Amino acid sequence: MEILLSSLAAGLLIGMALALVALGLTIIFGVMDIVNFAHGEFLMIGMYTGLFTAQATGLDPLFTLPVAALVGFLLGGVCYYGFIRFLIRGPMVAQLLGTFGLMLFLRNLALLIFGSEDRALHHGLLVGRSIDVGMGVIIPATKLAAAVLAIFSFWAVWMLMNRTHVGKALTATALNPQGARYMGIPTEKMNALAWGIGGATVTIAGALLVNFWSVNPFVGLLFTMIAFTIVALGGFGSVRGAFFAALVVGLIMEFPGFWDFFSYTFDIQWMYDIPMTSFKYTWVYLAYFIIMVARPRGLFGWKH
Amino acid sequence: MEALRNAFDFSDSPRVDLVIAAMVAVALLLFPLFSPSSFAIATIIQFFIFALYGMGWNTIGGYGGQVDLGKAQYVGIGAYTTAVMLIRWDIPFWVSMPIGMFFSITWSFIIGYPLFRLKGHYFAIATIATSLVLKDLFEIWDFVGAARGLEISPIKYSPPDFLRLIFKQDIYYYYVIFGFFLLGILIINWFRRSRLGFQLRAIKDNEDVARSLGINVHLSKVKTYAIATAFVSMVGSFHACYIKNIEPEDTMSLDISILIALMAMLGGAGSLWGPIIGAGVLIPLKSYLKEWLGARGGLVGIDLIIYAAIIMVISAREPRGIWGIVERVRRRKRL
Amino acid sequence: MRKKINFGFSMVILIVAAALIFPCHAMAAGEIKIGVIYPLTGGAAAAGRELKAGAELAAEIANSVMPDIDMTMAKKAGIQSLGGARIKLIFKDHEGNPTLGADLAKKLILDDKVDGILGCYFSSVTKTVSAVAEQYGIPMINGSSTSPGLTERGLKWFWRTTPHDKWFTKDLFELLKGLKEGKVKGVPAVPAGDLKSIASACEKTEWGSHVSGLIKDLAREYGYTVKKSLLYAAKSADLSSEVRSLKAARPDIMLFASYTSDAILMAKTMKAQKITAKIIWGQDAGFEKPEFRKTLGKDIEGILTRTVFLPKVVDLKPLAGQVNKLYKAKTGNDLGGASARAFTGLQTWVHILEKAGSTKPEDIQKVANAIEIPGKELVVPWAGIKFANPGNEMGQNILGSGLIGQYQVGPDGKIGLEIVYPFDVASANMIYPFKGY
Repeated sequence: MEILLSSLAAGLLIGMALALVALGLTIIFGVMDIVNFAHGEFLMIGMYTGLFTAQATGLDPLFTLPVAALVGFLLGGVCYYGFIRFLIRGPMVAQLLGTFGLMLFLRNLALLIFGSEDRALHHGLLVGRSIDVGMGVIIPATKLAAAVLAIFSFWAVWMLMNRTHVGKALTATALNPQGARYMGIPTEKMNALAWGIGGATVTIAGALLVNFWSVNPFVGLLFTMIAFTIVALGGFGSVRGAFFAALVVGLIMEFPGFWDFFSYTFDIQWMYDIPMTSFKYTWVYLAYFIIMVARPRGLFGWKH
Repeated sequence: MEALRNAFDFSDSPRVDLVIAAMVAVALLLFPLFSPSSFAIATIIQFFIFALYGMGWNTIGGYGGQVDLGKAQYVGIGAYTTAVMLIRWDIPFWVSMPIGMFFSITWSFIIGYPLFRLKGHYFAIATIATSLVLKDLFEIWDFVGAARGLEISPIKYSPPDFLRLIFKQDIYYYYVIFGFFLLGILIINWFRRSRLGFQLRAIKDNEDVARSLGINVHLSKVKTYAIATAFVSMVGSFHACYIKNIEPEDTMSLDISILIALMAMLGGAGSLWGPIIGAGVLIPLKSYLKEWLGARGGLVGIDLIIYAAIIMVISAREPRGIWGIVERVRRRKRL
Repeated sequence: MRKKINFGFSMVILIVAAALIFPCHAMAAGEIKIGVIYPLTGGAAAAGRELKAGAELAAEIANSVMPDIDMTMAKKAGIQSLGGARIKLIFKDHEGNPTLGADLAKKLILDDKVDGILGCYFSSVTKTVSAVAEQYGIPMINGSSTSPGLTERGLKWFWRTTPHDKWFTKDLFELLKGLKEGKVKGVPAVPAGDLKSIASACEKTEWGSHVSGLIKDLAREYGYTVKKSLLYAAKSADLSSEVRSLKAARPDIMLFASYTSDAILMAKTMKAQKITAKIIWGQDAGFEKPEFRKTLGKDIEGILTRTVFLPKVVDLKPLAGQVNKLYKAKTGNDLGGASARAFTGLQTWVHILEKAGSTKPEDIQKVANAIEIPGKELVVPWAGIKFANPGNEMGQNILGSGLIGQYQVGPDGKIGLEIVYPFDVASANMIYPFKGY
């Protein structure tokens, strides 16, 4: 029983952090209909930002989130004005090629600057601490903090998108760029803003993750794939959908725990021997494939 | 017969292209005889390998406009079929290669039917997903050596062994893959003039119109996907004999898939020479930049940074790749 | 205009051709070139730095006269039988990638024309590199890869100085047996029922997957049940589901085979998950790196690791102390399992070359198959170096042995390794059971 509970808790906690990872992707996609393959690399940069600011100040990355957000916002804006602006005129193939180029560029720039070592945060206010909530469930403090802050950031962005003029302008740009332009909305700026917000949310997510996840220049792709799965599951462009989809994906990643629970509870010998932990991400990929084929709009999608 | 004539008919290419192509082919044919460096030979072998991968990718990705980022799974199937058959049952390369192609094509049908219900980005990401799922499976499958991979024993065979494709010097591999390369060009040339090739281009231009003309869109895509797969699988088999040590992380990694697609797109997707030019530019660039700036200059990753910068500039300025630039220059000259 | 394009094309072709033809290399007289392939970047970069420093130190000692070191190779400068030729090391970085390793080996052999190869730490890379060396008939000495399979392939150009995992894993089970029989220093005999079940997590390439298999085999032989055996990717950024799966199995003994960054991550995650087990044992590599100790500090007190060298060996062997002093001056760290074995690997090269008096591969092969280096020449506490030939394990050093160390807080308040096995050289009382988090 405690295996089940601790897996559930871990899945939901990581799912909340992943929601923030996917948020940026879904905003950019919603507004501009372009897929950013460099999304995971943005996250990687956020992780490095969190790590270095934390090491420099001696605080947890949780306290230096605004720095990460600023870096992400600027990164998104610079990428848009310097590069993406030219890409969107071209065909889909060129967009794919271009954001792939961006991905390789950022990844190897990080490799050149930081080296390929795995770096992790070993000291801090929360690192290494955990809360025993009983029933065998032990929640690492870092994950709990990440989940709480992720929800908060998510809520803030959701408010921005739905309750402010800027948000309405963004939505208008998403629904009909030409119409929005006629209404006097500076669509170019809105696109840049979408990239800025997208970048900021994902770097915040990175700074939260680095508390318990080590970082190297190659870490991005895994998160790109996870974010794609979440966005596909939630429906491309849907912010609310992304949140619930992220929880589902978090639970999917905890599949090995459920497998263990099942095999120990019913004492099924052959189930012990299957190395389910090797498959923890496989289920995520498989989920993407099945969802896309069976229900291309996703679970909560409004646009396809 | 007609297919054969098509394969050898290059009459729609400008003569200057053919002259250059012939010159390059002769240069490549003679190069190893004069080459002083094993590094250069290895680089050109890599070029052939990736040019072939790119040609395969180009059928579905270029002519068909379906960006496929999961080619590495077929590299893996081809390589593993050849390695497993050689190691376990001593089945020579020339038998196991077609069997590997058969497995690859079967797998491509299995995943191709659902895959081609998707379009654009969704399709691209789904191909990544299938490729990664297969890789994860291979990583725990003990029969094929799991994550340890398989080694073709360095002492069991007596090189040069033309049946099993086990050689000591790279020069043998060079000529074998060169043969494949020429054959590949002929097959692509046939393909682009075949009925299927024309159907595919119609689909790329406008799927609805193509459907209204009575083209079975889905089937055409799946068939072309199978051709692309066969190409990649064939080279994967060769790769197994050449590298002699294969493991999922290496043969089936996403990086391979991306590299294949990037080279073809950079050279010019949907043209005969595009993927070859792409590989011809990028592979030497990559290995020499890596050697000069990376290994000697201590700048790790600089090769790929420059490489990525080129890709970004090309994709923003000329989406049709290097071949697009060539054609644009030509058109301007004609006007 | 057409001419212009033609011209452009031909220029491109010319440049490419020129680039392909001119990678130049220089030859120097009186030099013996040994290609050394180590993971200098990537997840095991820390290990790579140690290995490199160990091999470099051995080369320095061989190339110069250092009378206060009691080694044959320190007495004279260079290789005497080759006219005082100096050892030149050419380092290459395999990044943990077997295919890259094979490429590098080919380049070293064909373009740099090395006389021999040393490497490669990762068993998976050693496998591909030794295959290339075999193909070209260039001798290769391996100092630190411990997968048993490497010497079971019947290679004729491959020699391994380090003992392999079969011996090390057996050492562990002997230690467990000793615990129950009361042989361990400072621990009264443990009731047999206390130590019954095992869970293991090993990295999934050549080395780890073999260790995993060995643990299963030996557990059966010694009468333990393996409740869970996991394989994971050393590059994983997150091991929490692995650790939770281990925890769910509730084993008495937890065994690991991990490289550096994953070992640290594993220990951190275990702490966060409040793991309880009576014995935690790491199969060398990551568990004995200075980084492991430095990052985790007192959290690792009580963790066991097998190794071939730890600073306490200095008390047993004065020679080790002399070399350790030089190594510490060079790097700031004590010699460890990796650096000591890299040192020994290159030292073996020096002895072989000295005896062969030639750099012809055939001569080297003949000498290597017959060489005997006495234990007093070595920094590691082995009986010596002598390679099995012929036999099932061709090229394996049969005189090596392992140690098991335990992290303990010393009198100076710093955490360090103490010897707990073999029992007769134990340097401290063993901490049992592991105190838990």
